[in-house]
Order: sequence, then structure tokens, then C-alpha cells
Amino acid sequence: MTVYKYFFKITWNNKFAILLYFALFLVTVILNSSSMGDTETDFSDIRLSVGIIDNENSKLSNGLIDYIKSRNDIVDTKEDEVYIKEQIFMESAHGVLIIPEGFDEDTLGKKESVIVYTDDRRPESMQLENQINKYLSFANIAYQGDEYMLDDVEEALTETVQVNFIDKQGESNKNAIKWANFYFNFTGYAIVAIYIMAIGLVMSEINNKKVALRRRISSKRFLNYNIEILLGQLSIAVATVAVFIIGFIVWKGDLIGLIDFEKYIVNIVVFSTSILSLTFLVTNLTNNRYAIMALATVLSLGTSFISGVMVPQEYLGEKVLNIAKFFPVYHFVKANNTNISSYGEIRNELLIMILFAVAFLLLGLIVSKRSQRMNVSRVKSNMRQ
Amino acid sequence: MKSLARNVIYQGKNFFRDSGQVFWTILFPIILASFFNLAFSGLTYETIEDINVGVSEDNPLKFMLEDVEEFNIYEITDESYKDKLINEEIHVYVDEDMELVVSQSGISQSIIKEVVEQIKQAIALGRPIEGTEFQVSYIKQKDQESNSIIVIYYALIAMVSAYALFIGIETVSLMQANLSNVGIRLNVTPLKKESFLVSGTIVAFILNIISNIILLLFLKYVLKLDLFTNFTYSFILIIIGNLFGVALGVFLGASSKKDNNTKTAFGIAITLFFSFLSGLNGPGMKSLIDEKAPIIGRINPFSIITNNLYRINLIGNTETFPEGIVVLGIYIVILLCGSYFFLRRRTYDSI
Repeated sequence: MTVYKYFFKITWNNKFAILLYFALFLVTVILNSSSMGDTETDFSDIRLSVGIIDNENSKLSNGLIDYIKSRNDIVDTKEDEVYIKEQIFMESAHGVLIIPEGFDEDTLGKKESVIVYTDDRRPESMQLENQINKYLSFANIAYQGDEYMLDDVEEALTETVQVNFIDKQGESNKNAIKWANFYFNFTGYAIVAIYIMAIGLVMSEINNKKVALRRRISSKRFLNYNIEILLGQLSIAVATVAVFIIGFIVWKGDLIGLIDFEKYIVNIVVFSTSILSLTFLVTNLTNNRYAIMALATVLSLGTSFISGVMVPQEYLGEKVLNIAKFFPVYHFVKANNTNISSYGEIRNELLIMILFAVAFLLLGLIVSKRSQRMNVSRVKSNMRQ
Repeated sequence: MKSLARNVIYQGKNFFRDSGQVFWTILFPIILASFFNLAFSGLTYETIEDINVGVSEDNPLKFMLEDVEEFNIYEITDESYKDKLINEEIHVYVDEDMELVVSQSGISQSIIKEVVEQIKQAIALGRPIEGTEFQVSYIKQKDQESNSIIVIYYALIAMVSAYALFIGIETVSLMQANLSNVGIRLNVTPLKKESFLVSGTIVAFILNIISNIILLLFLKYVLKLDLFTNFTYSFILIIIGNLFGVALGVFLGASSKKDNNTKTAFGIAITLFFSFLSGLNGPGMKSLIDEKAPIIGRINPFSIITNNLYRINLIGNTETFPEGIVVLGIYIVILLCGSYFFLRRRTYDSI
């Protein structure tokens, strides 16, 4: 098993790079999991992120601020237009209110009394504006004898409407499924990157012209050599997939009963096979380490963006998704996102990924055969010279 | 000076002999930008016009809700509203008792609730209402378009500006006798290693800057993205990014005896890791980091370049620019000093 051992020795040299990909996966999943809530069984109002600056500090402005605070989450801000614009641009605040001096007087005169920074294309801006206008309209309606009767306003604002929540059948575990979908979809990115980079770099060394020539004159049988290489590649693939599956069990084992865990495992194994074949094709196409690493990054990151790993498929345009269908990642993500009662529902996705695996393998074999022929004819012509 | 120029020419030629490296340096950023553009070209946001409200037959609220121009009102006469809610054809169903039915929480549902609640609260206020009160807007709106997704392009520019590191790794490897045949030859010739290193650095810097310019031209003229409004500051940042990349490459090349494959793979993984933290995989990660650990955004070299690029060009804010340049400058000095420490007085007993 000399070749097999050597395969792992080279892989081990790249351990830090491979570990960084796992770290990238881990950081992304941890950060995103913190923004996912519990299972939704009841209606809850959306709380916006709002920044407030009060330069009036009156009873009315404090009343408005208290009301806005009760309905939204307050974020830090400062009275600096550039800073506020960045908060809106980067969506770290849905809106920022500036209550200027003279606010009470302008409100009473039904003038524009509050400055609000928002992105007016977004529904969040409408919600915030509705809340502000409602409070100030109520304050004006309740204005009596030179005074805002804010206690009456606040009492009226406690009135709420009844909201009845219909739980979608079969989706009571929506958040567990959402979390598992995110986790396994993101493995799609990591698997493409790790396989092509790790296996690709090992193969670029093994396929090095000098090493290949030495191997040819060695007593090692070509079949045994290929079997050991294949075993090496399979070992990396199995180890990578195992890390992701065990990672899920260790981290979110309590969700396994709420999701179709078997579906995710079957899907990741089939996907992994197709990417292993893709790696086989890549390593036969080029031996250049820069090209291999460029392809690892382009194929992993590029296809993840258009296939729904980084941006959910429902937000991507139809044209983009039609192009994404030419990559296995799209079908992997689609199968992960489908809630199934039987495997028939994701049969097409699994089948397409298997077909991809076969196609990549055949293409790889054709390229390999061609390059072998070219190498042999080159050696022969060198010998003649 | 003459030998320096000669070395620059030779090393430049050497670079173009490696087609994989040319592909990596020039075509890779363009292909990645094309993928980004493809993904974002069809990206759809939830807009105000999308709010769909179902109302029961003869619902007295129907006319009031129809007054809200952003709402699309659908009168539903039977129990089919439940299916419409589940299939997300409508966001909320409002019955004649002012009760709402929803199948999920969301901003559209909250907006409709707010409006219906306002009608109920106005009644609870117990004051005579003329009807014109609610047509007054007390808001002086200052619109700022939010477009956090565009940060990805700046993160890509930040990442590729540091890709000079690969030529940096190559250059140092070429001058070390224990790492390459050229290094062996170089060590037994009277050629000055310093000159070789400096010329390698110049080549790395120039070639990567050219690659960056090609990417910027591609973004502007092919993808039609107007990412730059303040060219001077942006170019300074890209130049500093390139210097950082070269310094990182020289450091990675000098600090380890591992082969080039390992060092390059590590270089890619590390740039990708920090680029992800700066927003390369979407603005969500960047926002989370800005919220939970803002210090990372101030010390991560790729975040410094990304943040300053969008601040300068899209918001017109140059406040954090000097700090960013100083921090990157410190990194460059540390990396170069470290490289000098590893490379100085290196001799070989046998080569």
C-alpha cells in the first residue's frame, strides 16, 4: 500500500488548508444558526431594528420613543448622516429617526416633524412610517387645552386585534428542517472545495511527469496502483462526509427526530459521488496546481451562488436556476429543500446526480486515455531523437 | 539597477510561461465575478407592492383597506382562504370581526396587522375623527437605498488584490536552494539575492495590479456595474491590498520549508477564510460579525479593504480610510520584518 500511504502523506501536508475549509464551514453555520429561531407555533410581530436620536426631549417625543421601543428593537446610532446612511445601506438598521428641535410645534401644526432615514422600496419602511404617523395622529386627535393627552393615546394603543395562526400541516418542525437544510446545503460548497483542492493537489503531485515516468518503470502493477489511488480518494471523500454527518449528530442531534435525516444522508452520499467524479475529471484535465485551485474556488463558490447554497433558490431568477441545473449542486440543494414522504419525490434529483457522476467519470476516462496516448507518443518521439 | 531591470523582465517572462498561474491571476477573478453577476441578476427582493390581503365577503373593512394603495385586496367568499394562506397566495385573511388569520409571521403580516389595529385603536381613542387626520404625514423621509449584496463585489476585489501573494510565494521559493533548482543555481552565482527578491516583488505587484485593472474594467464595461465613484482613494486601497498580498506571499514563502503546493493551498484557504468574514459569501455573515464582534471588521485585512471600498464609493465616507491604511501598513511591515528574519544569512552546508 505504498501509493495509498503516499497519497495520505501529501494530503497531510495540506492539512491546514483543509482545516481552514472546515473552519469556514463551522463559522458560517454557527453564525447563521444563531439567527434562526425556535419552531413557529404562534404569530409574532416583526420587530424592526430602529435607531433614534431625540433633540427635543419633550413629553411628546418621549412618548413616541417609548411607543417605537415597545414595537421594535433599538440599535445604536449617531447624528451623522454618513453613518446613518451606512446603517441603512448595510441593513444593520431598518430605519433611523431624528426628532429635531421644534418637533412639538411642527407636530401640532401637522407639518413634517420627524426625519426618518429608510429604504422606501422595502416593506419595513412602510411599517415604521405607519407606526410614527399613527402615534402622532393619535396625539393630535387627543390634543386638548394646550396639552397632549398622551395617557389616552397610550391606552388606546394597548388595543390589539386577535390573530389566529394556522399551522401548516406537516410543517410544524419548520425550523428544524430549515436548520438542517441550511447545514446540509452548505456542505455542498465545502465538499466541492475540499474534494477538488485536497484530491486535486495530491493528484497534481502524483501525476507529475517525473513521478509518472518512474512509476511506469517500477514493478508496481498499473491496476494495483490505480486501485490504491481510488482507495485514497474514496477515503478522503468518506472522511469528509463522515465529519459533516457526525458534526450534525453531535451538534444538533436533538433535531434528528424532527427531520428526515436519512434523506439528507442519502443525498449527501450521492452528491459526494458526483463531486468525486468531477474531481477525477478536473485532475485529468489539468495537472497545474494553480488551475486546480482556481477551479476549486470557482466551481465551489460560483456554483454555490447560483444553485441556492449562499442565496436561497426562491430568491434567484428563473434564468439563473436554469443555468444552475447544469451543475450537481443545484440538484443537491433542491433535494435537501424538498420535504418528502417517499424517495420518489427526489428520485429525479438523485438520478441526475448519479448521471452527472457517470458523465464526469466517462469524460475523465476519455481525457485520461487521450493524454496517456499523447504522453506515449511524446516519449517514443523523444527516444527516436 | 540594470540587473534589477533584467531580473524583472526574466521573472515576468517566467510568470507567463506558467499558463495555470496566468489563468489563476487574470481569468479566475473574472469568472467568479461573472458567477456573482449571474446569481444576482435575477435576485428578487420583497417589495411593498407584494402585500396581498384576503377579506371576507361584505367585510366593512374592505373599503378602508382598499384605500391603502400598497395592498392588493382579494374578496374570498368561502373557506378557501385557508388554502390560499398555506399556499402563500395571500399574507393575511381579515374577517368581518376584525380578526386576522395567518399561516406565518412576516413583515407583510405585521404591516396589515398594524393597519387593522389602527382602525380598532382609533375607535378606542374615543375622540371625534374627521377622517383627514390619518392622511397627514409627519415624516420628512430621507431615502437611502439599501443594497448590502453589492458588498460581495468589493469583497471579491479585496480578495483578488491580495492575490499577488502567489507570485510572492513563487519568488521566494525560486531563491531558496532547499526549495528549487533555480535556488541552487542562484546560490552558487554572484547574483544578488536581494535584487532577485525585489524584482520578484515588483513583478508580483505589477502583474497583480494589471489583473485587478482588468477585473475592474470587466466589472464596469461588461457587467455594467458602477462600483467606483472615488477613484483615487479606491486605487490607493487596491495598491495597499496588493502590497499586503506580496508581503504575505513573501512571508509564507520564507517561513516554511514546505513545497509550493502546500503554501499556495494554505494561501488560498486563508484569503478565502478572511474574505468570507468580510462578506464574500453574502452580506449576512458580515452583518453578523459587525454586530457580534465588530473588532474583527477592523483588524481583518480583507474587511478593511472591503468596508473602506464601499464606504468611499457608495456612501462617500472616508472617515475610516486613514485607520485602514495604517493597520494594513502595520501588517505589511510585520510580514516583511518576519520574512527578513527567516531569509537573512541563510547558508547551506550542502546543496
